[in-house]
Amino acid sequence: MTDVPEINPPNPEAFLKEARTLATHAPLLRAPEKVHSVFLVIIVAACLPLAGGVVLFGWRALWVVFVSVVSCAVIEKIYFRVTHTPALLGRTHAYLTGVLLALTLPPFTPWYVVVLGALFSILVGKAIFGGVGHFLWQPALVGRFAIAVITPILAPMLGTTDVLQPLSWGVLDQQHIVFGDVKEVKTPKDYRGWKLTDAPDGTNGFAMPHPNKVMSKLWLKSDDNFHNFSSIGTVRDDIPNRQCMLFAVLPPVSDMLFGARPGGIGETCSILIIAAGLYLVYRNYVKWQLPVVIILSAAIVVSIAPIRFTGPNGTMETVWFPMFAEGIEIGFTYVLYQLLGCGLLVAAFFMAPEMTTSPVTTGGQVIFGIGCGSIAMLMKLYMDIPIPAYVAVLVMNTFVPTIDSMWQPKVFGQKHFPWLARAKK
Amino acid sequence: MLFQRYGKFTGGIDVPEEKDSTVDKPISIPEATDSLRIPLMPCQTLPSQPTVTVGARIEPHQRIAAAMKDGIDIFAPLGGTVKSIDEKTIELADLTQPKGIPESSIETSWSDLDSVQLYQRLAESHLPTFGARGETMMGWINRAKKSQANTLIINAVECQPYVTADHRLLAEFGSEVITGSAILGKTIGVSKIIVAVDETHTDDYTELLETNAQYDIQCIALPRKYPIGADNILAYVLTRHEVPCGQDPESIGIAMAGPAECFSVYRWVVCGQRLGGRVVTISGMHAERPGNYFVPYGTDIHELMAPAEEPFIIGSPMIGRLCPEGSVVKPSTDAVVAIDPTIVGVPSQCIRCGWCHDHCPARLNVAVLNDHYELSDIAQAEHLGVLSCVECGVCSYICPARLPLAERTRKLKRAIKRRQTSMPLFTPAPKPPESDR
Repeated sequence: MTDVPEINPPNPEAFLKEARTLATHAPLLRAPEKVHSVFLVIIVAACLPLAGGVVLFGWRALWVVFVSVVSCAVIEKIYFRVTHTPALLGRTHAYLTGVLLALTLPPFTPWYVVVLGALFSILVGKAIFGGVGHFLWQPALVGRFAIAVITPILAPMLGTTDVLQPLSWGVLDQQHIVFGDVKEVKTPKDYRGWKLTDAPDGTNGFAMPHPNKVMSKLWLKSDDNFHNFSSIGTVRDDIPNRQCMLFAVLPPVSDMLFGARPGGIGETCSILIIAAGLYLVYRNYVKWQLPVVIILSAAIVVSIAPIRFTGPNGTMETVWFPMFAEGIEIGFTYVLYQLLGCGLLVAAFFMAPEMTTSPVTTGGQVIFGIGCGSIAMLMKLYMDIPIPAYVAVLVMNTFVPTIDSMWQPKVFGQKHFPWLARAKK
Repeated sequence: MLFQRYGKFTGGIDVPEEKDSTVDKPISIPEATDSLRIPLMPCQTLPSQPTVTVGARIEPHQRIAAAMKDGIDIFAPLGGTVKSIDEKTIELADLTQPKGIPESSIETSWSDLDSVQLYQRLAESHLPTFGARGETMMGWINRAKKSQANTLIINAVECQPYVTADHRLLAEFGSEVITGSAILGKTIGVSKIIVAVDETHTDDYTELLETNAQYDIQCIALPRKYPIGADNILAYVLTRHEVPCGQDPESIGIAMAGPAECFSVYRWVVCGQRLGGRVVTISGMHAERPGNYFVPYGTDIHELMAPAEEPFIIGSPMIGRLCPEGSVVKPSTDAVVAIDPTIVGVPSQCIRCGWCHDHCPARLNVAVLNDHYELSDIAQAEHLGVLSCVECGVCSYICPARLPLAERTRKLKRAIKRRQTSMPLFTPAPKPPESDR
């Protein structure tokens, strides 16, 4: 008989033993936080604006979240089964991606669009880079961007006009919250705010234009008579048949804060987004500098960037410094509407601070934040993009490796910043 | 007189202190052991040459090994019979009972001696220093004199969890520690002496505060924040001068010593006693008799901790190491902790959260250094200032991916010092099997 070398079968006990390895080098104690617990805490924080969305848009919002989370997890599982990429650890980050993707989607999104977004999030955003810790762009935003690009192309084939950008969006009335249907809505004659107006007969809520759509593209010539405003906040007597932008067309500021306005499921309720963001800042998962810098730079850009109003007869009027054009109070209100109108708060508190796709150092994060805030507002004002804040974050994500390699901190005992001196070779 | 309070630095964390079980226990005598294995190399110098033969009867404090080059003579901490001699240890059996710290008796008036006489007297002492650096006392004094230090900082902050040895020394022998620091200061020729302590335990230091006025010594209580007791950080907090990359506080004219050195210097210069042991804190949840003990050098740590079982940690869990079989108490052993190390498992990949950089007391970008480690790019790591690392272990402690960052940074520093850039530092971890977490 010859000695046949015994081939050891894969030993699950050996792996379990390795997975329980004790620390062998100093420090022998470790803090209790692990990677997946970090993701779980961010999911819990994201549930807060999600709850606001469910209250204001009804059960349909929950259906979108469910489809998004399940499809993200299933797609990642299938990809892992096929390729065995080791860095796709667990499903926790897939759940987080699903929740964040759902935050940015409108409540009436069809399920196939959500699945399409999840497919792009997991495959293009995460898996082809090698999984958690390696990707370049925030995965949920990759999915959202793909949806924004593809749905206008898909819409004629599906027989609908526009899946995600209808002219008027629905918000549930107070009497129909949670259990109403956001598709059965009508435009009220005189909308004075969510609490003061009753829904028209036979409907569940109000249909309103998206505030982002009203306030963006002011520099572009529009064919529809949508932008026939005489000024930002006050009606001008010398130009007849025109109205002011802020107080005649847009919902009241309180509705913008509490979320009774059209928008993505988690985008609208600004109070809850800020509360969840402050919790993340308190847990040290988000450095406070990043959201503060994003919001501040966006506010500065909006208050000085010129806008233009187009009249019915082709008359045009340019406002150079909107902050000071009609008094400081109207200027502040205008800036507030611009900041709350798009998904800037979600981008500032949930999307930009994603750990893998933001710079490591605080100085780098400040540069990153200035870029995010200003690019978001410039895109919103001068380009025809439905999701300006998210695209701005994606653009700045692309520069994160450059920022990381250039901005190195001054180490204890060094006289100069390392990027001022050349590396010795 | 009260303690002055000041001092801050960026980074740092709050580590659980775990000092409650030993902080009020006075220094006591450990249980008698059968044998001592006295190390012939207590400091990082050449091993001393044994001067006794096997079977000889040894009196307490008798010289049993002679110094080689700049090493120190070894003296028997207890009486006994030489059982065996090998290259690194002398084993003593039939021991006399350990007596703890002897009563102090003033034999010499140290204030009559000038610095040269004090230097000669300390040269006869053959004392070690008690830090992790492993120098002899004369090596430390020579280094401080060579750098013309003008400030002597007594580092009694003890920010490490579980360790209370220096605290008990200050609480029970405060005036002797202060006098010892004055002796060291006069020997080196410094103009200013600072004693830094932890502000939470200052109520116990009444004796220390009564003495320091005589010698014009500043006593400063610092807030508890890990790692304020690291030498470079403490020098920065007290003097606002940053120690240059990869150098010691001596390079900016600051000499650092601990209370254990001051105490042993006082006992040698004033009382003529040569202490054959050091105060060791025994703590941890598996320790049977937690407390502070005056343990003679060469006591086997497993016998000291019996009947508790492994694992033991020599030093505090943040910077210490696991106790190998047959290790003995040395001058650098400040604590023996019996706890279970954290289960770390297989490290996952870095998610670039940046917490290591946020909490690093040296402001190092540890996440990027980890990249350079994995690429074996040592020149770039040196350019980013890795030599400033104080090896406090904060980066490993907070890493959510459980990467051994402190160990990797230590390897980078070692590689820079040895210039071994040809060997790859990093071998990829084995691929984990499918997991459905």
